[in-house]
Amino acid sequence: MIHSLPPGMIMIIGALLLPFLGKRLSAWGALGLSVASLGIFWTAPEFHSVPLTMLGNELNIVRIDRLSWLFGLVFHIAAITASIYALHVEDTKQHIAAMVYAGSAIAASCAGDLISLFVCWELTAVSSVFLIWASGSERAYKSGMRYLIIQVISGVLLLSGAIIHFRETGSLAFNHFLGLEFGATASIWDLGTGPQLILLAFGIKGAFPLLHNWLQDAYPEATPTGTVFLSAFTTKLAIYSLARGFYGIEELIWIGCAMTLFPIIFAVIENDLRRVLAYSLNNQLGFMVVGIGIGTELALNGTAAHAFCHIIYKALLFMSMGAVLHRVGTTKATELGGLHKSMPLTTVFCIIGGGAISGFPLLSGFISKSMIISAAGEEHMFAVWIVLLIASAGVMEHSGIKIPFFAFFAHDSGKRVKEAPWNMLLAMFIGAFLCVGLGICYSYLYNILPFHMEHDYVPYTAAHVILQLQLLLFAALAFVFLMKAKLYPAEIRSTNLDTDWFYRKLLPLMIGFGATVVGLVDKGIRLGFLATLKGILNRFSRLFSERGVLGSTWSTSSMAFWAAVLLGVCLMVYYL
Amino acid sequence: MKTETENSNHETPAGESSWLERNVNLVIVGLIVACIGTLIAQWAYHPLFDDHHPPHFDEENIFGFQAIFGFVAFVTVVFLGRGLRLIIKREEDYYDS
Repeated sequence: MIHSLPPGMIMIIGALLLPFLGKRLSAWGALGLSVASLGIFWTAPEFHSVPLTMLGNELNIVRIDRLSWLFGLVFHIAAITASIYALHVEDTKQHIAAMVYAGSAIAASCAGDLISLFVCWELTAVSSVFLIWASGSERAYKSGMRYLIIQVISGVLLLSGAIIHFRETGSLAFNHFLGLEFGATASIWDLGTGPQLILLAFGIKGAFPLLHNWLQDAYPEATPTGTVFLSAFTTKLAIYSLARGFYGIEELIWIGCAMTLFPIIFAVIENDLRRVLAYSLNNQLGFMVVGIGIGTELALNGTAAHAFCHIIYKALLFMSMGAVLHRVGTTKATELGGLHKSMPLTTVFCIIGGGAISGFPLLSGFISKSMIISAAGEEHMFAVWIVLLIASAGVMEHSGIKIPFFAFFAHDSGKRVKEAPWNMLLAMFIGAFLCVGLGICYSYLYNILPFHMEHDYVPYTAAHVILQLQLLLFAALAFVFLMKAKLYPAEIRSTNLDTDWFYRKLLPLMIGFGATVVGLVDKGIRLGFLATLKGILNRFSRLFSERGVLGSTWSTSSMAFWAAVLLGVCLMVYYL
Repeated sequence: MKTETENSNHETPAGESSWLERNVNLVIVGLIVACIGTLIAQWAYHPLFDDHHPPHFDEENIFGFQAIFGFVAFVTVVFLGRGLRLIIKREEDYYDS
């Protein structure tokens, strides 16, 4: 019975009961819900679906196959880790929002039809915005508003696309929209209008280039614990959906390449380290989108593996910066430095996260990212391969070096704070443990990937380890060189423009300009009308004035003359 | 936001340098040694490479290709960032004002 409900449903329903536990216990309640949900998910019959007929249409509210199981599992791990991280938070509404958010993301990853997906898709948007608003600042409120509007637009596009797709094909099933075989390729233009709209919806949520800026705008404004939840679900749900519906769409390769490149340049000059992590997240999504675009079994396995590892190491990095924010009150690089003396454990966890995302051997990024790069190599995509290598060096720059260096080392800011609370440390330990565990015992992850590969992928070859170390260590050497030569850009308190400028500055300016133009035209028309009216009235007043034709006293002779003329005219009319 | 800077326990007095800060040069020398180590390893293990990891592109066979690539890509990204800052940097309260 319980397995007929969408996975994660217990978190959504249970979240509504959290207020009854009181402020202190609600955090533990949230953790209990996450663990219970994982228990149900784990004991579910292997790979099943639950069809349901509603309004004459067959829906598939639960569809668990290897792809959705992997995402469901890692979403549960993220929810549990983040719940531990948030155990000290006594704000019940944050726990409710987090549980509904995590539960709906898990349910979405196991939805077999587009309508169920849409419902969960919107639920993730509406629940997650409370994690941003919970910061309580005016800035967070505005940022959350922009986030919500963009997320809802994504949902509306998804629903519109689903309806059009249903009218064209009569099916609401959520599978590949062209029914491509793995390894085959197609173009965006081969898709119908419905799937194109759905791709756009996924693209917004997956932070495609130019559609990305809600991510860097909103995530750094959420609470320290809220950002950890946010980092795990929304964008990876989009990656899952793309991997389900659009693998092998060639344009995704180039979209993914652009995604890996542009954020690393923005990250170099960003001062807020949580925003640097948001750019870094965007860059990592790029690797996954490339894998989806390539669409071979190796590439899709790489995408799934990378999403799995990424959720964990990215949460770890956000947790370490959240701990800094919790203790110091800021994550601006200009205000930080030297924290390794007072937060040594957080420093170690952050470095492990940075090492994992950079792809150091023995850590999780190494065994997942390399699958996508190898998949590009197998398909002889030289340009893609080069771009991914550049992006790998870029990851080393912003997440491997910049984040730990400017927060915990660099110039000593003189700030001496307590180490992070025990629950934050425990959550970070779990994250770090998984990063190392996945890096070493990678076969556990490889065994649950979507495809069984004929030739097992072996990450630890002499060539791969040595060449990867060359890339990363020489990139680190470049950092030392640039710092010593004083060529590395100093951290500056600033705002860097991104695409949000268009809707935060240009759009209001254009609306203001448009309103001014309309106002001027309106004023012109009204003044013109009044002037014309005034002219007519003046003319009438002149006519009826003492000297006017109709107002002056006429002589008797002229009256007799005009009466005779009038009678004459009447006579003529009569005879005619 | 709970800020505990003011209430910190001053176990490590401000200004006292840690082992890492006193031995920055040692860390840098260690990094350089590790870099050279990877080049030596590539030279030593090169015969084994093709057995388990057939190269997809000729460039992978060039000695030290990834080393040079990592260094150059890093420097390029940083300089592109410096250039981008000239265009997009604004005051911190740009959107609030």
